Amino acid sequence: MASAITIQSVTKTYTRGGESLRVLDELDLTMDGGTFYALMGPSGSGKTTLLNLVGGLDQADSGSVRIGDVDLGELSSSELAGWRAANVGFVFQGFNLLPVLTARENVELPLLLAPLSRAQRRAQAERVLELVGLKDRMDHKPRELSGGQEQRVAIARAIATDPQVLLADEPTGDLDRTTADSVLDLLQRLNRELQKTILMVTHDPQAASYSDKVIHLDKGKLGRIDDNRAASGGRK
Amino acid sequence: MLVPLRYNLRSLFVRASATLLTVCAIGATVAVLAGMLSLQQGFAVLFQERGRDDLAVFLRKGATSEGESGLTREQCEILAKEVPEIARTTDGQPLASAELFLAVRLRKFDGGETNVAIRGVQPASFAIHGDDLRIVAGENIRPGQDELIVGQGLLGRIADCRVGDTLRINTVTFRIVGTFTGKGGYQSEIWGDLERLAAALQRPVRSRVLAKVAPGTDLAAVQERYTADLRVQPRVESEREYLASQTGDLSQRFTLLGGFLALIMGIGAVFTGTNSMLGTIGARTHEIGILKAIGYRPFAIFAAFLLEAVLLGLLGGAAGCLLVLPFQGAETGTMNQTFSEVTFAFRTTLPVLVEAIGFAGLLGLVGGLLPAWRAARMTPTQALRRG
Ligand SMILES: Nc1ncnc2c1ncn2[C@@H]1O[C@H](COP(=O)(O)OP(=O)(O)O)[C@@H](O)[C@H]1O
Ligand SMILES: [Mg+2]
Repeated sequence: MASAITIQSVTKTYTRGGESLRVLDELDLTMDGGTFYALMGPSGSGKTTLLNLVGGLDQADSGSVRIGDVDLGELSSSELAGWRAANVGFVFQGFNLLPVLTARENVELPLLLAPLSRAQRRAQAERVLELVGLKDRMDHKPRELSGGQEQRVAIARAIATDPQVLLADEPTGDLDRTTADSVLDLLQRLNRELQKTILMVTHDPQAASYSDKVIHLDKGKLGRIDDNRAASGGRK
Repeated sequence: MLVPLRYNLRSLFVRASATLLTVCAIGATVAVLAGMLSLQQGFAVLFQERGRDDLAVFLRKGATSEGESGLTREQCEILAKEVPEIARTTDGQPLASAELFLAVRLRKFDGGETNVAIRGVQPASFAIHGDDLRIVAGENIRPGQDELIVGQGLLGRIADCRVGDTLRINTVTFRIVGTFTGKGGYQSEIWGDLERLAAALQRPVRSRVLAKVAPGTDLAAVQERYTADLRVQPRVESEREYLASQTGDLSQRFTLLGGFLALIMGIGAVFTGTNSMLGTIGARTHEIGILKAIGYRPFAIFAAFLLEAVLLGLLGGAAGCLLVLPFQGAETGTMNQTFSEVTFAFRTTLPVLVEAIGFAGLLGLVGGLLPAWRAARMTPTQALRRG
């Protein structure tokens, strides 16, 4: 039931100052629905670019990106926006929240795009904030929250509309070890209990160990894929 | 779906200094516009109140104001005697007053000089105006005497015009015997006996004849009757029509001047608004990226920032109105058509406020177009990367 992500010979090239840089080069990759993936690779290897393509924030120059049976290459930018609202949630490294809105208002942002009543919206925002353990902080502004709490609110917002896919770009990059672990625990829980498909970019092998599979990317090409479940003899 | 309004509203307050700068620029512009419109309103009311349908004004043919007009003493008498439409007293005297109207230089209270309208009237004048004109201090002028009464509007403005003072006009010394209130512009005039003022000013020619007629009298027909008369060919209209044509011009000048100033300042204010919005979008690029990533469409982003600019404009509009409201009712003087001092009140009416705030919103809207367009057009990755 969880939809797979299929990437077929995707190429993405950036031009800067007349020089063109092939960030992704004929990349082929299939990811199963309901699986927690970590994406690793040296800086500049194209991880963020790949994540953005999967999330419909950007489009490939050639090849196709399909989520379930939707080919993102066929959508206009406005259609992509609508698709994102219903199908993916994003968590970035830092500064995920709009500073002038409270935690609850931030979580309600994607819900405003769904056909919900005010009361339903409120209830859902409170439900997901409770899920990430921050219901008591819902009326706080981002600057009144710690870094870890901010990331958890960002995760709550990412799952508010109950999307199938969660994309996280170095979500623990700015956090200390303990805080990072609690955020990673939360992501793992969302994967195991709610069957979210997660693709998480990270530099940190320990963060990667929370995932089911680790995809290595190098200079726009796919490297090996490690299976953590096989390595540790089953689920961690 | 649109970005919640409170996002933009709160952001305005977060960037308080940039917001304040724009609010001031738009506020000043709106204050000028609202001020001009208030003056125009006060001016319009001044004359509307005064014009009556049952008074006929006779001017020289082709003259558009008393200042341009000229009728001889004989012509005035012909009109008063012959026009059957003119009302009469019980003993058969026509209710018609030949008047001399002239501006003279007088000293102001606060130093300097200004033009003040002097009107020589015949005794019938007071019967014609009836209750519209009342002596509020001292007494009325007597026929054939070197006496003057002063409109109340001039009291605090012109020196030597209280009851008991004397005023020299050319070589003749006149005594101020009373103060009167009248409708509209009469308040700003000094009145005396026609013959005495004509002698002092050495003016054999009268400016107009003012006469009482039955309401609804066809004054055009009266004028028509005299078109071929070799003795006198007057221009005849009701007092209301006459005054409307007098204000029309000045009123229009206020509107034009106000509009012109508002336009020039408005262009400046639009640039300030654009600049502020470009600044805010530059500083909030990452936030725009987040909104786009969440799934807000380009149109929603456009609308949000345009709305923010309009809000900024409306805040400026409110500030501008607050700037002019304290002047509500304040009296001011200006030169009228015949270049004499008239006093009128500053009237900031509700329509004036609505127009001013609407104009402010429009300034914000125009200023916000380019920045909002820019924000909407950014791709999500551009926005996120730049933040
Ligand atoms: N919009 C862009 N314009 C030009 N170059 C870009 C753009 N986005 C990314 N790049 C370049 O593409 C390469 C890969 O970027 P990225 O996907 O962010 O790498 P990673 O996330 O793996 O560090 C980098 O060299 C980066 O500088
Ligand atoms: Mg990156």
